[in-house]
This record gives sequence, structure tokens and C-alpha cells, in this order.
Amino acid sequence: MVKLTDMEDEKTSIYGEYDPYLQKVLDTLTGKILKYYNRIRKEEGLDLIEHFSARIKSDESMREKCVRKGLPVNEHSALKELTDSVGIRLISGFIDDVYRNVEEIRKIPDIRVVKEKDYIRHAKDNGYRSYHMIVALKTPFPDVDGNNPGEYFAEIQLRTIAMDSWAALEHKLKYKKNIGNTKLIVAELKRCADEMASTDMSMQTIRDLIFENEGREFGLRSTEGYNETASGRG
Amino acid sequence: MKLLLAEDERELSRALAAVLKLQGYELDPAYDGEEAYRLAHSNAYDVMIFDIMMPKKDGITLLRELRAEGNHTPVLLLTAKAEIENRVEGLDSGADDYLTKPFAMKELLARIRSLTRRSSESYNPSRIQMGSVTLDTENLELKSETSVRLGSKEAELLEFFMQNPEKEIATEDLLKHVWREDEEKDPEIVWVYVSYLRKKLQWVGADLRIEGEHGGSFKLVQAGK
Repeated sequence: MVKLTDMEDEKTSIYGEYDPYLQKVLDTLTGKILKYYNRIRKEEGLDLIEHFSARIKSDESMREKCVRKGLPVNEHSALKELTDSVGIRLISGFIDDVYRNVEEIRKIPDIRVVKEKDYIRHAKDNGYRSYHMIVALKTPFPDVDGNNPGEYFAEIQLRTIAMDSWAALEHKLKYKKNIGNTKLIVAELKRCADEMASTDMSMQTIRDLIFENEGREFGLRSTEGYNETASGRG
Repeated sequence: MKLLLAEDERELSRALAAVLKLQGYELDPAYDGEEAYRLAHSNAYDVMIFDIMMPKKDGITLLRELRAEGNHTPVLLLTAKAEIENRVEGLDSGADDYLTKPFAMKELLARIRSLTRRSSESYNPSRIQMGSVTLDTENLELKSETSVRLGSKEAELLEFFMQNPEKEIATEDLLKHVWREDEEKDPEIVWVYVSYLRKKLQWVGADLRIEGEHGGSFKLVQAGK
């Protein structure tokens, strides 16, 4: 009969008493990102983020990840050993914008960059491309290590629309890893990733050429002329 | 289309030059094997025509040396003798075709057309390497630290650069080589594609770069070399 309390216990979040702070961490980080985004948009006319999403890793997947990584299933593992309880994904139009976002995030006060992984310059073997940052945010509330003010981790993933679209579609395919033609499927998906990356680079080049040649003679002329030509021929 | 003609008989050379120019080809004449070697080193050609019997360096030695250095430009040999041995040696040394003297001008022109038609297809290796870069021309894959897939014109342009490393190639010549079948070719396209390649070489972490400016000549070089 006493079992009931145990079950209740299991139902409480793996984040324990720190659970309510995670939403605040997420909101604070999002706010800081939006701040520089709005400033740059106003000052330079650059739209560095096409869209973004943010999530707190669900209790269930966090527990599952602890088990998978061989960690004790508790709030310390969830908040200090693993660093993606809070996740933010920034999607940009152009590759250079991804790197500009990385630069701006590094400059945000109260943020410490713990780790960066450039899977754009060094794509994963399957073709996956993205820029990953682990950051630690100083907060006005306590953390699981007893620090007050405490520090919370968040993972920020940055990539272009094309990279994001590849990742989303590849994920949806959920092909069985043990069927006969796995090798072919993997190779073909990588080819798609490499083609999309190539298009990203071409689009970036076109943007650079338009920028560099604004006011100078160039085949595509100004942005305006380019649009006219494009629609005129279409 | 740019041709190199290595032929020591000046009269024949002049006659060929006149006809070829009339057909719209650009032509650099060389009158001995060493001069031809120097020209092949500093310029990018679409087809090279070598006489076998030449002073200073014969056509077969010249051809062997260029092939050993990785020059895959199509070569047509002109042989004075109709001997079988001679032709076999030429073809085995890397010639793509031969013509026995005396020949009909019409036939020479047809053979040049045939060679330029397939220059970027079956006559070249499907993998070209330079520095840290591998270009797979069959799958259009550009690879160094990471890989990307190129468009067909990008791959053709890079292939031409890689076959002619460290050579100044004029915008006009790149246009003629890569966009040869395009009727309304705008030289501006060369600059756009050079820009694509520069960006892609940089992004895959290549140690190659394309030097040169808008509208001018371009040269593929290996960094730190």
C-alpha cells in the first residue's frame, strides 16, 4: 500500500525542484538572442534568423538519455552531466548568417561558451550539417550544485534552411538500419546533403556578388534589376 | 577553342594555321619539341597537335613527358611514316588519335572536332587530385576536409583548372571551353562560376585557390607552394 508514494515519486520531474527554472532559462536566452537580432536588423538591415524553435527536453527523453549514457537518473545528471535540458535552434537563410549568429552569441553578457562543434565545415559522415554550441547562463536563482546565483546549460543548434530541411527529412525517413540496401540509402542521403550544401554555398556567393557589386557593373546588376530579369524571363 | 600546333615544317604550319583560324580556332604554333613543351606548360589548350619528327624533342617524347606530369589534354599525332609501329607507339604513349601525312584538311578538322567533343568525357580519368582536393568527375563530388556535390558546369570548370594548374587562363578561353555549346554565352557567367568554385573550395577546406580578377585571367594555385 505504501507503494503509492513511490509511484508519486516517480512521477515528479527528473529536474526536481529546478524544473520551474528551466522555462526561465529558456526565456532569458531567447530574449538575449532576440535582442541582438533586433539590433542588427535595425542597424544593418540584416535578417540573421529566419525562424527559431526552443524546447525543454521532456522528462521522458531526459530519463531515457541518462539511461543510454549510463548515468544515474537524477537531477544532477540531467542538469550538470547532460547539457541539453534547454535547447534552442536558430535557422538562418545564408551560411554566413549562421556564423554571424555564432559570433553574436559569443558576445552575449552572462553567457559562457562551454563547447562548440562545427559540423558545417566538418560535416558528419552521414552528411549532417549544423553548428552546435553548449553555453552556460548565469541566473539569479540557485542550481543543483548549490550555487546561488546558479548556472544552467543550454544547447544552441544553428544551421541554414537547407541544412535544417535535410535533417528534418532524413529524420522522417526512419529507414531500418538492418535492411539490405542500407549502404546505398546512406550514400544517397549523403549525396542529397552535399548537394544542398552546395546550393547553400551558391546562394551565399550570389548574395556576395550582389553586395560587392551594388553600384558597379555586374551581370546580375542590382538586386532590383535581378528580380526584374528573373520575372521577365519566367 | 585553343590549339597548340607543334610542327617544324614552317610552310605546313602556316597553311594549317590559316585554315584553323578561318574555322574559328585560336592557334599557337611551335616549331620544335622544346618550344611546344614550354607552351603546353604555360597555356591551357583544348587540343594539341604534335608532329612526331621534330628537332630538339620528338613528338612522342614530348607527349610522354606531358602525360607523366598529369597533362590530359587530347593529343593528335601527325606521323610522316605510315608504319604501324610508329602509330602504336604514339597511341600507347598517350595520344588520343593520329593522322598520317599526307592528310586531307577536311579529315584533320573532323578529328579535331571529334577530340574537342569528348574532351571532358571519356578521355579523362574520373578522379583528379591536386593538393588536398579530389574531384570525382563522374559523381561531380568535390572533396577535401568535407565534401560537396558540384553542378555539371562547376565540375567542368574545376576539372579544366585542375588539368591546367598554375596556368593563367583568360575568361574568354574558360568561356569557350566550358560553355562551348551555349549559344548566348555571356562572359559574366565565368566570373559567377569562378566565384562559386572559390566559395566551395574554401568551404570544403581545400588548399587550392583560384587567383585572378573579374573579367581577367584566372589561375589555380596550391597554397603554400
